[in-house]
Amino acid sequence: MKIIIDDRAVECEEGALLIEVMLKNSIEIPHFCYQEDLGADGNCRMCMVDIKGMKRPQIACNTFVSENLEVSTISENITEVKRSILELELLNHPVDCAICDQAGECKLQDYYMDFGLYDSHLTTAKTKKGKHIDLGSNVMLDQERCVLCTRCTRFTSNITKTGELGIIGRGDSARVGIAPGRELNNPYAMNVVELCPVGALTSKDFRFKQRVWFLDSTKSICHGCSRGCNIHVDYNETKYSDEKIHRFRARRNNKINQSFLCDYGRLSYTELNESFNGEVSHVKDLADLLKEDKKLALVSPSMSLQQLQAIKSFCKNNAIELFSLAYIDDSFGDEWLRTNDMSANFAGVKELEINYDEGKFNSSLQDAHVVINFDHKYLKNMDLNNKRVVHFATSHVDSDYELIFAIADFAHDSGTIINCDGIRQDFYATKYESSNPRLVDILEELR
Amino acid sequence: MITRIVSNNFEIPDSHTMDVALSNGRYSSLKPVFEKEPQELIDIIKASGLRGKGGGGAAAGNKWQIVSDWEGTKYVVVNADESEPGTFKDRRILSLDPHLLIEGIIATCYAVGSNTSYIYVRGEYEEFSDILQDSIDEAYEKNFLGVGAQYRVDITIHRGAGAYICGEKSALLESLEGNRGHPRLKPHSPKPEFYFNEPTLVNNVETIASVPFILENGAEAYRAYGTEKSPGTMLFGISGNITKPGIYEVEFGVSMLEYIEKVGGGVKNGKKLKAVIPGGASTPILPFEMLKEARLDYENLRDLGSALGTGGMIVMDEDASMVKALKNLLRFYHHESCGQCTPCREGTSWSDKILDRFVAKRATMEDLEMLRSVSKTMNGKTICVFAPAASGVIDGFLKHFESEFLECIV
Repeated sequence: MKIIIDDRAVECEEGALLIEVMLKNSIEIPHFCYQEDLGADGNCRMCMVDIKGMKRPQIACNTFVSENLEVSTISENITEVKRSILELELLNHPVDCAICDQAGECKLQDYYMDFGLYDSHLTTAKTKKGKHIDLGSNVMLDQERCVLCTRCTRFTSNITKTGELGIIGRGDSARVGIAPGRELNNPYAMNVVELCPVGALTSKDFRFKQRVWFLDSTKSICHGCSRGCNIHVDYNETKYSDEKIHRFRARRNNKINQSFLCDYGRLSYTELNESFNGEVSHVKDLADLLKEDKKLALVSPSMSLQQLQAIKSFCKNNAIELFSLAYIDDSFGDEWLRTNDMSANFAGVKELEINYDEGKFNSSLQDAHVVINFDHKYLKNMDLNNKRVVHFATSHVDSDYELIFAIADFAHDSGTIINCDGIRQDFYATKYESSNPRLVDILEELR
Repeated sequence: MITRIVSNNFEIPDSHTMDVALSNGRYSSLKPVFEKEPQELIDIIKASGLRGKGGGGAAAGNKWQIVSDWEGTKYVVVNADESEPGTFKDRRILSLDPHLLIEGIIATCYAVGSNTSYIYVRGEYEEFSDILQDSIDEAYEKNFLGVGAQYRVDITIHRGAGAYICGEKSALLESLEGNRGHPRLKPHSPKPEFYFNEPTLVNNVETIASVPFILENGAEAYRAYGTEKSPGTMLFGISGNITKPGIYEVEFGVSMLEYIEKVGGGVKNGKKLKAVIPGGASTPILPFEMLKEARLDYENLRDLGSALGTGGMIVMDEDASMVKALKNLLRFYHHESCGQCTPCREGTSWSDKILDRFVAKRATMEDLEMLRSVSKTMNGKTICVFAPAASGVIDGFLKHFESEFLECIV
C-alpha cells in the first residue's frame, strides 16, 4: 500500500501508525510523548500533520494509515502549528541549557533550531516548580525543564510495573513526582533518564561530568550478563588525561533489549576505566613457564569468540588443559533482561566445546603445577598455594601471582559474543588505542 | 411557558422520599418497560430524538445502540459531575427527585443489557449525594434495585475529588477506574466508552431522568415539545444579574429574551441587558444585539456562533466589565486544565496571566495579539474539548467586546 507524505510516495502496511511509518522512512516528525517501546500517549501534540480532507491538523501518533492518505508535514499551516505548540512547551522552561547535561541531545533544542527561532513573547513571570530533586537510583529531577510527556511515568507504570512516578497537580502546576516516602529504586530505574527527551531527568552518575558534544560513541554489547543488551559506549580523550568512558547508553535492538538497559549493566562501564597500572611481566618468562608439565587454564566466559578460539589453540599447542566456568548468580536474574548467568559469552564457550565441568576442573586444579587465568573472576577465591600462577587481567589486580599480563578490555578489543538466546553479536573497539595489548597479540607472540 | 416533564415533582414537599415519590408516579414506567424487549426501548429513545443534556447534545439513542450491540459486560455510568460554571440543574434532580433518576437508570440498564450502574457525583455535592444514597437505600428496600428486583440493577455512588475535567466522559471513567482524570484519545470509529475495557454507556443525569417519561408515554409524546431537531424539554438555568435566578424547565426553541423576561423576571434592578453566556461558561458569549434572534435550541445557538451547552445562562447587565468577566472565566480554565496536552496546559495559564495585565490596565497591543494567538493554538489541537472551549470563550469576548479590551491598553 502507498501513502503520500510531502509529495513523496511511501510504501507501508494498511493500518500502521503514521508516526511509525514516518520514522521508519526517516521523515522528520517532532515528538516528545511517542516512544517506540512505550507507544503513543497523545499529550505533547508536537507530531501534528495536515491530512488531506481533514479540517484540523491531526497527531501522527494517533493516525492509522489507509490507502492514498495524503499527509503534509511542511505546509505553511502545519509549520505554524508546530511552532506555536513548541512555543508553549518552552514557555515556562528555564532555558538553562548552559548548565544542563541534556544540552546537545535535547529535543527542545533541536526543534527550536528546526522550526522555532522566535523571541520569547512572555511578559509575565514563569511558573516555578521543584529543582534538583533526588528521586533515588542516580536519577535527578528538574520539574521546570519537564515537558510532561509522561514517558518516565509510563515506563514505571507499564514496563517495570513498579509505579514509583506519577503526575502531580493540574494545569500548569502539573509535574512529575514521586509519592512521599517512596524512592525510585527498581533495577531499571535509570532508563527514565534516557527516555526523557529533555533535561528534566538526569543521571547523577553522569551529570556535570562531560558535555555530550565532546563524546565519541562506539557500538558495543553489554558484558554484564548473558542477555547481550546492545549499547553505545560514550567516551572521550581530553587534554592532559587519558581516554575515559563516561557512560553506556542503550542501543535499540528489538530482538533483545528494545531501548532499555538494567542499571547494573548501565553502570558496569566503571570497570572499563580501572586501567591496569601495575608492573607487567615479560612474554619470554611465560614461554619458560610453559615448559613445565601439568598445566591448567581457566578462561573467563565473557571473552569473545575470537579470544576463546586463540586461547583454545594456544592451550592445545602447549598441552594445557582448558576450562571455563560460568558466572552464576541466582539472585541476579529476572523475568525481563537480567539473567542469572552473568557471563557474556557462555554460549560461545559451549560452541567452542571448551570444558565447563566444575568437578573435573576442581580435580585437575589440585594436580596442576601451573595455572593460567585468562581474566576469570573466580580464581581469586581459590586455593592456589604451591602453584605457579599466570594472570591475564583486563583491570588492575593486587596479587603476588608469578606472572601478570595486562590485556585490552572489551571496549578496546572488538569481537563477537553469543547471548543466552543464541544470538551472535559483534562489538567494536573505541577509536583510541588501549595502553594494554590485545590478548590475541600476546598469544600470537608466543607461537 | 414552564413545562414540567423532568421537574414535575420538584415542588412537592419531601419528593425525595420513597412514599411521596411512589404516590406521585415514580417507578410507574417500569411495568411497561419490562413488558417490552430491550431493542424496542432503544428504538423508542431513538424515535424520541432525545439528546444528551450534559452539553454535547449527541443523540442518546445511537449511544445506547452502540453499547447494546457491543460484546461484553455492560455498565451504565451516570455523569453527575456537574461543574460547568452557571450550571446547577442536575443537583436539583439529585436532591428533589432522586427516584426519577433511579427509575431512569433501571430502565436504561434494562434497555442496554447492564446490571451495574455507577453515579459519578461531583465531589462538592456531598449533601446531594447523601440524599441520593438514602433514596438508593430505599429503592433496595422496596426491591426496585438489587437481587429482589424484577430486573437486577445495582447502583453505586462514586464521589469525585473535585476536578472539572472528570465531567468529560473518558476522564470520568479514568477517574472511576482509580486513575488520574485525564481524557482518553478519541476513537476513530463509532465505539462505546470503556470502563475496565468493558462497553459502557455514559449519560448525563438529566438525560437519564428524561427516559421514564419517554418510555412510559412514547416518543411522540416527547416530540410534542421542542423543535424538529431539538425535541423535548430541558432544565434551563439562569443566573447572574437576573431577578429570579433558578432552574426552570421549558421546551426547546423558546426565545431566549422571552425566557429571561417571563421566567427569569428580567434583568435585576431594571438595568439594561448587555450580554448572555447561553449554556454554561464554555459557550461563547452573545451580546444583546444578537439575542433578539436567539432561541433556546441546539441549532439556533450554533448558528449564532455559540452553543446551547448545558442550558445554564449567565446574564450580564450594562455594568458588567467584560475584561473582568473574561478574567474570571480564564482563572477557572487555568485552575481546571488537567495539564495533559501542551496547548491547554500552557495556553490556559498564559492567557489567564495575560488577562491580569488587562485587568490592571497595563496591557499592550502585543498582549492582545498574544491572547489571540494563544487562543488559536488552543483550538482544535488537544485530546478533549476543554481547550477549544476556553479558546471559544476568549474569541467570543474579543469579537463582541474588543473595545473594552482596547481601553485597557496603555
